[in-house]
Amino acid sequence: MSVTLLKTHPLMPNGQVGRDVPRLESMAKVTGREDYTHNLRLPGMLHAKIVRSTVAHGRILSIHTEEAAAVPGVHSVVTCADIRTIIPEPYFGPAFHDQPILADGKVRYVGEAVCVVLSHDPHIADAAAQLVLVDYEELPAVYDEVEAATSNVYVHETLKPAGTFPDLKHLEGKRDTNVALDYRLIRGDAEAAFAQAAHVFEHDFTTQQVMHTPFEPMISVGEPTSTGLTIYTASQSPSFVRIEMARLLKWPENRIRVKTSHLGGGFGAKLYIKLEALAAALALYTGRPVRVALTMEEQFYTITKHATTFRIKSGVDTDGKVIARRCDVWWNGGAYADIGPRVTQKSGFTAAGPYDIDNVYLESVAVYTNRPPAGALRGFGIPQLVWAYESHTDLIARGIGMDPVEFRRKNILRDGRPHATGTVMKDAAIPEVLERTAERIGWDKAFDRGTGTIRRGRGIAIGFKASISPTTSVAIVNVSADGSVTLYSSTVDMGQGSDTAMAQIVAEVLNVPTEGVCVVRPDTDVTPYDMATLGSRSTFHMGNAVRLAAEDAKKKLDDLAAELGLPERSNIPVDQLFKKRYGMQAGNVIGIGSFIPTYKSPDHDTGLSDNVTPFWMIGATAVEIEVDTETGHVTVTRMVNVCDVGTPLNPKVVETQISGAAVMQYGFTMSEKMELDAGQVTNASLADYKIPSILDIPPLMESEAVVATQHSGPFGAKGVGESATFGVSPAIANAIEDAVGVRITSLPITPEAVYRAMRAAANQPLEDF
Amino acid sequence: MIPFQLAEPASFAEAVRLIDPEDPTCRAVSGGTAMMLMMKSGVFQPSKLVSLRKVEPEYAAFTVSSDGALQAGALVRLGQLERSEAVRAAFPVLADTFPVLSNVRVRNVATVGGNLAHADPHMDLPPVLMALGAHITATGPSGSRTIALTELFRGYYETALEPGELISGLSVPAQAGRRSAYVKCTTRSAHDWPALGVAVSLAVTGGTIQDARIVLSAAVETPTRMTDAEAALKGAPIGEEAFRAAGEAAAKAAEVTSDVRGSAPYKTQLVRVNVVRALRKALAAEGAV
Amino acid sequence: MADLSTISFTLNGRPVTARIAPHHTVVEVLQNEFGLFGARESCGQGLCGCCTVRVDGDPVSGCLFLAAFLEGTRVDTVESLARGGVPSVVQQAFIEAGAFQCGFCTPGFIMMTERLLEEHPDPDEDLIRHYLSGNLCRCGTYPEIVAAVQLAARRKSEARLDKAS
Repeated sequence: MSVTLLKTHPLMPNGQVGRDVPRLESMAKVTGREDYTHNLRLPGMLHAKIVRSTVAHGRILSIHTEEAAAVPGVHSVVTCADIRTIIPEPYFGPAFHDQPILADGKVRYVGEAVCVVLSHDPHIADAAAQLVLVDYEELPAVYDEVEAATSNVYVHETLKPAGTFPDLKHLEGKRDTNVALDYRLIRGDAEAAFAQAAHVFEHDFTTQQVMHTPFEPMISVGEPTSTGLTIYTASQSPSFVRIEMARLLKWPENRIRVKTSHLGGGFGAKLYIKLEALAAALALYTGRPVRVALTMEEQFYTITKHATTFRIKSGVDTDGKVIARRCDVWWNGGAYADIGPRVTQKSGFTAAGPYDIDNVYLESVAVYTNRPPAGALRGFGIPQLVWAYESHTDLIARGIGMDPVEFRRKNILRDGRPHATGTVMKDAAIPEVLERTAERIGWDKAFDRGTGTIRRGRGIAIGFKASISPTTSVAIVNVSADGSVTLYSSTVDMGQGSDTAMAQIVAEVLNVPTEGVCVVRPDTDVTPYDMATLGSRSTFHMGNAVRLAAEDAKKKLDDLAAELGLPERSNIPVDQLFKKRYGMQAGNVIGIGSFIPTYKSPDHDTGLSDNVTPFWMIGATAVEIEVDTETGHVTVTRMVNVCDVGTPLNPKVVETQISGAAVMQYGFTMSEKMELDAGQVTNASLADYKIPSILDIPPLMESEAVVATQHSGPFGAKGVGESATFGVSPAIANAIEDAVGVRITSLPITPEAVYRAMRAAANQPLEDF
Repeated sequence: MIPFQLAEPASFAEAVRLIDPEDPTCRAVSGGTAMMLMMKSGVFQPSKLVSLRKVEPEYAAFTVSSDGALQAGALVRLGQLERSEAVRAAFPVLADTFPVLSNVRVRNVATVGGNLAHADPHMDLPPVLMALGAHITATGPSGSRTIALTELFRGYYETALEPGELISGLSVPAQAGRRSAYVKCTTRSAHDWPALGVAVSLAVTGGTIQDARIVLSAAVETPTRMTDAEAALKGAPIGEEAFRAAGEAAAKAAEVTSDVRGSAPYKTQLVRVNVVRALRKALAAEGAV
Repeated sequence: MADLSTISFTLNGRPVTARIAPHHTVVEVLQNEFGLFGARESCGQGLCGCCTVRVDGDPVSGCLFLAAFLEGTRVDTVESLARGGVPSVVQQAFIEAGAFQCGFCTPGFIMMTERLLEEHPDPDEDLIRHYLSGNLCRCGTYPEIVAAVQLAARRKSEARLDKAS
C-alpha cells in the first residue's frame, strides 16, 4: 500500500504555510487524552434514552409512560407535550422548520424520536425505555423518491420553509405535495439542440441511501446555567446551533452558549442542528444537565445521505461535441428536509458536469419520503451527480467510438468559458486534473487485460463542485504580551486538520512557529461567528478571515512600534514591544478578520447567475480493476486520485484528506447500503452495514494535488475535504465495462450485480427461484 | 444492557448445577463475545449468567498428541490454538483459517466451547472442524456424552445440546495425511460475515481421491455436509473434471437462503465456484491448480 | 438492580479496586471509575476496535468484556504507553506518518500495533493488514496506518540492533 503526493508545492517565505506540520493535537490523539464531547460528565447529569417510532407513517393515538416512569431510578419520561412547556413551537431545521423535537401527534419514519426516558444511570433509562408503549394508527407510506414526487401520500400537511432562503419563499404553506424544492436551470434551447444532434443518449442512474457513521456517535449535553443555557455538543456548526436555539427559545443569542471539542468524525452528520434542541429542552425541563448520546445504531435513524434517481440525456454532434444535455434529478430527502433543499439547488446546478455545453435543461427536486432524513454527506450531493454524468459520459464515448479521455478532453470546461449557470470559470484546473489523472494511470500505455476468469479494466471519471455561498467567517487573533499567539475561530476540527492549517496561516503572517500557536475550540461565548464547517468551505472562508485577522494584528503591532518611535523593520521582539508600551508584561493586540465573498443568487426562473460560487473544487479518479468472471467480484488494484485544491497549506494533511475521501466514497461504491423493509432499516449496525476495512482498500493508492492557485484564497488555497469523493464510483463502473463489457447503473456495485449483468449480457440471465 | 446476576463457580460440575434447564434466561458464559452482542442488542436479556471462567484449569488447556490429534477443553481460547505451533503443524487448515476468523480481539477472548454452542451458521470454525471429523463432549446434569460435529448443528442457532447441557471439550482426530482447506467468500467487505464458507478434507493416494468431506456454511441454514458432492469425488482422479462435478453436485443439493449478502441463485453460483476453489486449494500440493 | 461487588486488578501497573455491577463493561468502568477515556465505545460490537485494551497482555474489545471478568488480571490501556510526556515508538510513528485524522479510532490501532510488533517484530504488509482488519477508521487513514506500523517496526528493529552492538 502506498500513497504518493507530488511534492511540487511551494513553501511560503516564513516556512509555515506549505509545510507538513503534524496535527497540533497529535499527542492528545495518540495518547487517548483528546477531550471529545463524548467524554463529558457533569455533576447531577441525567442520561436520556430515546423511544423511537416502530412505524413509518402514523398518528400517535397514545403514549403509555406509566410503567417506565415507575421503574426505580427513572427521573421522568418526557413527551412532546412536556417539550412544549419549554418551547411552544418545537419545530426546527436549517431549511424548513419541519422537524419536531419529539414526535408531535404523528410519526413520519421508523426510528423517529417519540419520547425520552431520563435517569442518572443510562442502563436504567435503557431498560425503562423498553416499557414505554405507543399506540399508532398506521397511515400509508411512500419511500421511493420518484414515486413520492407525484404520490397522493403526503409526508407533511403543509410546507414550512425557514424563511432564511429567498428561493424557498414560494413554498410557504404549500399543501398536497412532497416536493420540498424544485430547482430549474435553463440555458439555451436543449430541445431544439436535441433535434439537431447526430446521436442522442439517455440513461437512468440511481444511488442508495447510506450513512456517515462518524465514530464518535452523535452527542449533545444541555446544562442550565444562571444566565441561560450551555450546550456542549459534537457539532460542525456551533454558531448555527446558537442562532436556532435562540429562535426556538425566543431568547437573545447571548443567553445561549454552545461549546464544541474536536469531533470524532463528522462528514456532514453533525451539521446544523440535530440533538441539540432535545438536549437543551430536556435540561431546561428538568433543571439538570442532560446527556443525549446516540449509539451507532441510532445514528442511522438520525441523518443519512440522499438516495437519488438521475435521468440524463445528451445530444452529440458528428464531431463528438455535446450540444445539449437534459438532467432530471430526484433527491430522496426522507421525512424531514434538514439541508436537503440546499443540496438539491447548490449541488444540483452542477448536474450537467464539468463540460462546455451550450444548451442545458436541468431540474433538481427535493422530495419528502417516509425514510430517515437525508442531509449533507461529504460532497453535498456531488458524488451522486458525478456517478450519473460520468457513467453517462463513458457510455457516450463508447457509443460514438471515441476514447473516453479524448471525448472528455473535447468537451471539458476551461477557464474563461461560462458554466451552465453563466458563471465564467476561473481558477478551475479541470483540464489539468483530467490530464494529470490520465497521465498518472498511464492511459496511453499498453495494459494487461487479463486472461481466463480474471479480466482487467481501467476507468476514469472527473467531477466538480461549487462552494456553498454566500457564507461568512469571522476570526480573532490575539497576541499576548509575551508574544505568544492565540487564534479564536468557530471552525470545528473534526479530523480534517483545520486547527493546524489555520494556525499555519497565522504563523506565516506573524512569522512565528505554527507549533506555538494556540487554537481555541469553538465556544460561542468566546469564538466569533462562523457559518459552519461544511462543504470544504473552511480553508477558503475561514482561512481568509484568519489571514485578515493575523494581518490586522500584525498591522497593530507595527502601529505600536511606530507609536513607540521605533524605526520600521526594527524587528524588536514582540515581548519587548509590550514591555516598552506598558512597562511590564501586560496588554494584548487583537486582530480581527471577517470574510464573505461576493455572490449572486440564481434567477428563480432560469437558475442562471454570473457569480454562483467563490471557487470551484475539482477531483478525478482513475482505477485499474480485476473482475472475477465466475463470481462478479471486483478488486480495485490501483487507484489514482487527483484534485485541484489550489495551493496546499499543509501537503501531508491534504494527501490524507484526498485518500481518506476516496476511501469513504469507495465504501459507498462497493459495499455500503442501508437496507430498508417497510421503512425499517434492517442493517443499522457496523456488523451488517459494511464500511471499508484496511483489507478492503486498493493496495495501491496515489494522491496528487495539481499545481494550481486559487487567487482569491488564503495563500492560494481552497477546500480539499470532498474533492476526491467525486470520481470514485463512476471510475470503477467505467472500468468494469472496460473489463467485461457490462454497465452497472445502481450503487453499490455488488459482486452479484456484476455477475447478474454478465449473465444477462451472455443471454443466460441468472434465474430467480 | 439490562442488569442481571452473575455466578462464578469454581468447578464445571458446579456450573452445570447452577444452570436451570427450565429457565431460558439463565445461561452459561465463557468468552462472552457473542453473548454480549445479543445482550447489548436486547435479543437476549438474561436473569442470571453462570461464568465458566473460574472452573478447573484443565478446561482451558489443550494437548496435541504425537500423531497429531487435538484434545481441548471448552474454555480454550481460539487465540491459544492459533498461536500453538503444534496445532498449526497438525492442522494447517486451522492456521490458514484463524486469520480470517473474526478478529484478533475476538480470538483472544472467544472459546472453543462458546464458538460451537452459539451455532451461528455464519461462523468459520464449525465447517472446518466438521470437515476435520471433530467431536465435542457435552456435559449435563446426567453426565457426559460425545457428539460428532456433524450431529451437533440442528438448525439456525440450534444445537443437539439438551437444556442444561454444556460443551466441555473438543477432540479433533489426527489427520493422517488428509488434505484440507477452507474458503471464506465475502460479498461486501473482507471483515463481513461470509456469504459462503466451504471446508473440504480429502484422503488421497497417488492421484486418486479416496474419501472426501465437503461442508458448506453461511449460505445454508446450518453447516452441512454435501454428500452428493463427496460421492462425486470418491475414487475420482485429482483434477478439474472431478472438482467441477463436485461443485455442480453441491450447487444442486445445497439449500441456499437469500439475505443481504446475496440472493439464493447467486449464492448457488458461489457454491459451484468455491467448492472447486476449495478443492484446488486443498490439493495445490498435489499439483491441482 | 443487580448487586454491586468489588473487583481488584492491576491497571497500568498499579493495583486498583472498583465497585461494579455485573452488567458493567470494561469501557464503562475505565471511564466512570478511573477517568480513562482512551478506550471508547463506537460500534458497540467489537468491530471498530475503538475500545481496545489489553487484558493480561492480549488485546480485547472493552465494550464486549464484562468488568467482572477483570478480577485478578493485569489491564493496560493506551494511557500507559507514553512515559513522562514521551510517546512510545508506535505513538511517535503514528504522529510522523500522519496516521490519524479525527483520532477516535487511534488508541485502538496503537494498542493493536503494540501487540502486533511484540508478536511479529518484522511484519509484512499482508500480516499488518490482517492483524488490523478488526479495527476500522472511518476517516480512511489506512495507507498512513500501514506506513506508521512499518515505520515503528523499523525503529524498534534499529533500537534492537543498537542495543546488541
